[in-house]
Amino acid sequence: MRKESNNNLRALIWWIGYIIAAIWAQKLLPGVDFLVPGLVVAMQERPGGRAFLLGLVFILLQEGMGGLSFGYGIAWYGSLLVLFQFGRWLFDVRSFLFMCLLGLAMGALHPLLTVGLMSLESLRPPMDRLLVEGALQALIFPAAWWLTAQVFPEGLKVDDSPY
Amino acid sequence: MTKPKKIALLVVLGLFLYLSLYTWNLRTGYLDDLSSRTGLDIAGWVVRPGQWVTSQAVETWERYVYLVGLREENDLLKERVRQLRLEKLKLRERARTASRLETMLGFVAPPDWKASGARVVMHRLGPTAALDTVAIDKGTLNQVFDGQPVACLDGVVGRVLKAGFSNAQVLLLTDPNSRIAVQGDLHRSQGVLVGRGENEPLEVRYMNLNSEIEAGEMLVTSGMAGIFPKGLPVARVTDVRRSDISLFLTIIAKPLVDPAGLEEVLLLTREAAAEEDHAEGE
Repeated sequence: MRKESNNNLRALIWWIGYIIAAIWAQKLLPGVDFLVPGLVVAMQERPGGRAFLLGLVFILLQEGMGGLSFGYGIAWYGSLLVLFQFGRWLFDVRSFLFMCLLGLAMGALHPLLTVGLMSLESLRPPMDRLLVEGALQALIFPAAWWLTAQVFPEGLKVDDSPY
Repeated sequence: MTKPKKIALLVVLGLFLYLSLYTWNLRTGYLDDLSSRTGLDIAGWVVRPGQWVTSQAVETWERYVYLVGLREENDLLKERVRQLRLEKLKLRERARTASRLETMLGFVAPPDWKASGARVVMHRLGPTAALDTVAIDKGTLNQVFDGQPVACLDGVVGRVLKAGFSNAQVLLLTDPNSRIAVQGDLHRSQGVLVGRGENEPLEVRYMNLNSEIEAGEMLVTSGMAGIFPKGLPVARVTDVRRSDISLFLTIIAKPLVDPAGLEEVLLLTREAAAEEDHAEGE
């Protein structure tokens, strides 16, 4: 019982630190999601309630930081979940190749999703910038995932993780 | 039911739920409010300490270390102050005359506006930041509201897009979705100033072909939309073209404010007393 609460506290501190680092990274490189590699690591290492809760927090954070109406975050992280689950059938979800493909998919999804949602609000999308951001997302995602997976504490992983 | 059918049903159900939630939020704004009061505020609190450290370091550098050329700059500034004093004297006299004439002609005085300062804490942040925005360190707790006009000493910056408790987002005038009613300060021709994106000049739309305007003319807010006070400088006209196939002039203008270098802004609020007097008068 005590061990579990210690673990929860440790996880809370680690994830707060991760969120702070990711927000600063997003400040330095606007348009790129640095929270998404953390969610992938959470789904790999500890799937279930904690990853779900983390997903909700990330949605609120991204929606709050952005200027669009609520909706991008759900579609963005929802698509990640779907792609991750589909990827399980074909790849080893911890492989770098799978992360590169996931990065490419997320990079392509970013401009599509933004243009779709902006057109629903009758807003004009900045196409050139969105394409650059998508390319950056595709390039940065595998590296950021690798870095996050390397620094993710062993104690926070579940031994019987299905992946 | 076969597996592909189950997946198709799940996809359709998911899409239906998503679009229902999206539409409900567009109508009520509850989820936007929730995300502004959580995500935006948390991001503001995370970024602010680092911003403070940076600004303190820069200030220390400028105040104590970077003293080269200070005397020359001081002399130049003294000369500039002298010129501005002279200009102020002339303008004060003209303002008094204008005020007297307005009273004689029975003009209703425009409402007064008060300004309160705010610091820019961050620019665009995250993948959902598709609009050109900056975040400031004031929110609804400081009476900031959606649509509030924002300016700085150089001119108009934009308006508040959404406000959290202690942070708010400002839509910059350079965003393609920004619209500001303007008029030339010399010829008084009116139009709508539209952004064309980051680092791009602005465009004035709906100014008739026979309107008088020239390159170099300052564009100021016309106050026609009731959002900005009248007469705030916004941009300077750089190019005026007449087209054979359009009913309107093609006008390009350069914003007076450099959004990338923004550090502090002014939030403008209509004085309550003036508003009440106006309401009573109606």
